[in-house]
Amino acid sequence: MHKKKKATKYFLISVSSIFVFLFAWWFLTAVLRLSKPITLPDPVTVVKTFIYKLNHTAPDGATLIANIGSSVQIALSGYLLAVVIGIPLGLLMSWYKPVDRLVRPLFDLLRPVPGIAWIPLMIVLLGIGLISKAMVIFLTALVPCITNAYAGIKQTKDVHLWVAQTFGSSNWQMFTTIAIPTSLPFIMTGLRVALGASWGAIVAAELLASTKGLGFMIQQARGIYRPDIILAGMIAIGIIGAIMTFLLGILEKRVVKGVNR
Amino acid sequence: MKRGAKKVEEKSLRQMKFEDKMKNAIYAVVSILIFLFIWQFGTRAGTRLGNLIPQPTEVFAGFFDSFIYPIGPYTLPTHILWSFSRVFVGYTIAAVIGIVLGIMMGWSRMVEAIFRPLYEMIRPIPPIAWIPISIVWFGIGEGSKYFIIFLGAFTSLTMNAYAGAKAVDSTLAGAAKMLGASKMQVFRYIVLPSAVPNIFVGLQIALSSSWGVVLAAEMIRSSEGLGWVIISGQSTNNVTQIIIGIITVGIVGFICAVVMRGVEAKLCAWNERGR
Repeated sequence: MHKKKKATKYFLISVSSIFVFLFAWWFLTAVLRLSKPITLPDPVTVVKTFIYKLNHTAPDGATLIANIGSSVQIALSGYLLAVVIGIPLGLLMSWYKPVDRLVRPLFDLLRPVPGIAWIPLMIVLLGIGLISKAMVIFLTALVPCITNAYAGIKQTKDVHLWVAQTFGSSNWQMFTTIAIPTSLPFIMTGLRVALGASWGAIVAAELLASTKGLGFMIQQARGIYRPDIILAGMIAIGIIGAIMTFLLGILEKRVVKGVNR
Repeated sequence: MKRGAKKVEEKSLRQMKFEDKMKNAIYAVVSILIFLFIWQFGTRAGTRLGNLIPQPTEVFAGFFDSFIYPIGPYTLPTHILWSFSRVFVGYTIAAVIGIVLGIMMGWSRMVEAIFRPLYEMIRPIPPIAWIPISIVWFGIGEGSKYFIIFLGAFTSLTMNAYAGAKAVDSTLAGAAKMLGASKMQVFRYIVLPSAVPNIFVGLQIALSSSWGVVLAAEMIRSSEGLGWVIISGQSTNNVTQIIIGIITVGIVGFICAVVMRGVEAKLCAWNERGR
């Protein structure tokens, strides 16, 4: 009973913390007018802009919904490509020594380069359309996919393998029925990290070269001094990122069983 | 007899390890040579790809040239220093604030209740999405770059310090309390040391993410630094310069990671991760 009371108390503190923050923001900007609306608009304006942008195209030529759609489409296409290639590659590298020896040196060359650094090269090679951005996302998401699949296989317990060998299973059977299930929690971590990285990279790619998308929208809004649109766009970016992570979390709970996490 | 057998086994184990290393090295050389050969062959004069991408020999020559002949206003090492100093300032501020906040959040439920919701509000926004608004707030100078790098490092630092302080073994804390340790003593001798490995994880992640963020910031607005080297290569259609930039970014990022791991191994010698 006492514990429950305490939890409620802390919950109320959390709620009031957000309210105090929003109120302070509103009070300083709307009532005291300490900042100009072209540097920091008040929260009410931002929310109004957010709702207005949902079905109005001004000033960047697309509604918020359309921008979100285009960003999500590109981010997911690059991400899925990275998952489809990166996870199997990581698994094979970890299980088969020669694959590891051949691929690892190249992977070690690629790994320390942040995905963002590839943007200009991809633009020069592939233009500013979907493909160049999807390639940037692909390179960004590939690294966590490979490293986590690799680390996941390494978690396999020798005892399990010995048991399988005793019962005469082949190398491939051990790989598919023991090693891969063992690595699932790590793979899911990799998927989550890669998703977050992809979402950041798509914003970067759109800031630099694009004609639509959330990154393009906030970059345009900066050019015409509309910080309310920038903030509305940032809120949209945050919400979509959180939703995608949440959906992946549900998938993770369904796929990974018997692990206390 | 028995001892002799053991010795033979040991020797063969060492030999196996040596052979393993040799094999690794041979495969590494082969795979990199294949990569360079495909690059060289694919971009030979007259092909369509050859018009777009320079040959590896050109890139390496350009790379070493740029130590002496400047790219834009500065030579390559000066560009590295520019980027590095920006990362250093933002990262250091983020390390101080993020670690203190994270530990406090893990230590006191009151601090957690106050700051956790605010932290959760900014966490899902990628640091790069802050670039336009930070330019509005701090101008196009150094201030906005420090701010973005700060944000890029801050979230992972706070998260990890928080997780570390939260994951304190309650048996240890309870035992210390039972033996009469004050709140401060529990904090200093139990909470803090057990959070250190997690803090190092945070420091490493934060370093690589702020290294990525500084590039984005420099690409969008700057006139020096590695991000500028890459982006100005794009605007002058100088692909050699872009690739030189990418290679340099990779090398510096790699060195940073190695140094960080070395520091961790020194400071957390007692921890499994540090080994």
